[in-house]
Amino acid sequence: MKAPSLQRRLLALVLGLVTVVWLGTAVLTWLDVRHELDELLDGHLAQAAALLVVQQVGEMEDDDHAVDAPSLHRHAPKIAFQVFHEGRLVMRSANAPASPMVRPEERFKSGFRSVRLGDTDWRVFATYGAERDIQVYVAEQQRSRSSIVWALLRGMLQPMVVALPLLALAVWWAVYRGMLPLRKLGTALARREPQALQPVEVDGAPAEMKPMLDALNGLFGRIGALMESERRFTADAAHELRTPIAAIRAQAQVALAESDDALRRHALQATLQGCDRASRLVEQLLTLSRLESSAAPALAPLDLSALVRSVVADLAPQALRKQQTIEVEAELARFVVGEPTLLAVLVRNLGDNALRYSPAGARVIVTVDGDAQAVWLRVEDSGPGLADADRQRLGERFFRVLGSGQEGSGLGWSIVQRIAQVHAATVSTQPSVQLGGLAVQLRWRAAATPR
Amino acid sequence: MRILLAEDDTLLGDGLRAGLRQQGFQVDWVRDGAAAERELRAQPYEAAVLDLGLPMMDGMDVLASVRRAGVTLPVLVLTARDAVPDRIRGLDLGADDYVLKPVDLQELAARLRALVRRAHGQPQEQLRAQDLVLDAAARVVQQAGQLVPLSTREFDLLHSLMLNAGRVLSREQLEQHLYSWGHEVESNAVEVHVHHLRRKLGSGVIQTVRGVGYLLPRESPAA
Repeated sequence: MKAPSLQRRLLALVLGLVTVVWLGTAVLTWLDVRHELDELLDGHLAQAAALLVVQQVGEMEDDDHAVDAPSLHRHAPKIAFQVFHEGRLVMRSANAPASPMVRPEERFKSGFRSVRLGDTDWRVFATYGAERDIQVYVAEQQRSRSSIVWALLRGMLQPMVVALPLLALAVWWAVYRGMLPLRKLGTALARREPQALQPVEVDGAPAEMKPMLDALNGLFGRIGALMESERRFTADAAHELRTPIAAIRAQAQVALAESDDALRRHALQATLQGCDRASRLVEQLLTLSRLESSAAPALAPLDLSALVRSVVADLAPQALRKQQTIEVEAELARFVVGEPTLLAVLVRNLGDNALRYSPAGARVIVTVDGDAQAVWLRVEDSGPGLADADRQRLGERFFRVLGSGQEGSGLGWSIVQRIAQVHAATVSTQPSVQLGGLAVQLRWRAAATPR
Repeated sequence: MRILLAEDDTLLGDGLRAGLRQQGFQVDWVRDGAAAERELRAQPYEAAVLDLGLPMMDGMDVLASVRRAGVTLPVLVLTARDAVPDRIRGLDLGADDYVLKPVDLQELAARLRALVRRAHGQPQEQLRAQDLVLDAAARVVQQAGQLVPLSTREFDLLHSLMLNAGRVLSREQLEQHLYSWGHEVESNAVEVHVHHLRRKLGSGVIQTVRGVGYLLPRESPAA
């Protein structure tokens, strides 16, 4: 389907409107002129009739035979009159018939009427002497009135026939000029590289185009940001995946070449550590990929307090190794709708993060609490906390707080956020009031306690 | 040969340091960008291995900053960022080599040696001066076709002198070339090693410029 042309549409609209307005004016003028003309000429007819009546009364005593009035002007045939006295024709114009111009039953009705005599329409004014013995009819050809009106309308319409094509040309040119910025934008867009994301600039763009340009440039901006974040994701992923492998390779090569036993042992230990790290990374990636590809898991009400207690029990040995303490504050059973395995992964990730990024001797408290509307889980630590800017970036995959001295992959947070999303829980982070480090809080709408 | 290693990953950094030591390098290891920049500006390294994803200051920024400051030493960028624009940017910012992780330690060592050699205007793996031939990769020295057994320090000292053949090196410069961090340098260590080298290679090979330092002439003084 061919796209409708804006230019053609504007042209048709403008020309159509001009024609309608012009024709409307012509119709109004025609009506107006006719009205005024009728008033004027009818006045003339009436006056002429009155004169004839007066004249006839004066000449009553003369001969009683009909007189043909002389034709005075070449336009005189357009006018006709008859004068009757007591039913007899006394006087008439050359172009008037001998019988009265009006029908017999209307003979004594005074006033205007239209009459057809032969093949000509006449406007007739009839009047009578005071004694009703004299009848005067004055008539004028209707055609002569129409030709005056038509002459006037011709004067109006003829220029229009000439002007309309000229106007069409002018409008076409004006519309073409007016749409130049649009055409420029089109060319600019067509000429862009597919990867170009810088804002589009159109010189002299009119105010009407600004919303469109702004929206377009906004879109380019968003795509640019998206591509930048994708690019960063790829770069970070490359770094996170390659570094452990590079470490394993380097350490293994050192071990192979090392003759000193202690140094070789150290290199081999480091190789093993590298393998552990790589496998943890793979584990996290798989969890994340399963989370993102799987359909919504089956959710059922479960006691969050009990689940937290069992996960923290698993984490306790890790805490002890760094002389850290991890405590649970969950006295009452709190029910949320969830999937137990996923929630365990979530709690484990939060607890693991808190322990991992807090120094030796730190304290971690996991709280489960709630009220009538909500249940919340809070994990807070006495670690160094997070700068606001870093808090905002948490959950970007592979984002790690630099200088934390930890070997995390930055995937744990993505996993936490994804699981929270699946469970319709909101995640928020703030500085911990109680311990001074980071506090992470998840909120659920409370589930009904199962009976 | 003393080099700076900037790598924030503990396991990888540890492995690279151990591996490069096996290859005969003296390695100073820093773990963040700010430290890397500080050390590169202050210390006389022969070369640097620079990771890009460093905390505090990105490796690219470190590179740009030290190049602006006029530091000319060869820098090998070792990174996981394999995107072509990253490589181009790294090289344009002044990296002399761009190597992707994971890397073979022997290849890394060979690349570093090549960078150092080229920085000294020596296109060949073997350094030649007078009747001496020094093979940095094999860490062997021949004099008039005969192998001369040298200790690690003696070899490193001769390596420095031969890289800078024809130029006087001060005792402080030689000490900095020989010892990485954590090594106590005895006050007369350089004199002792020079003395040993003279005994093994002949007294005329290394000349003393009193009050300044030592010099290894390109041509034998006798010739």
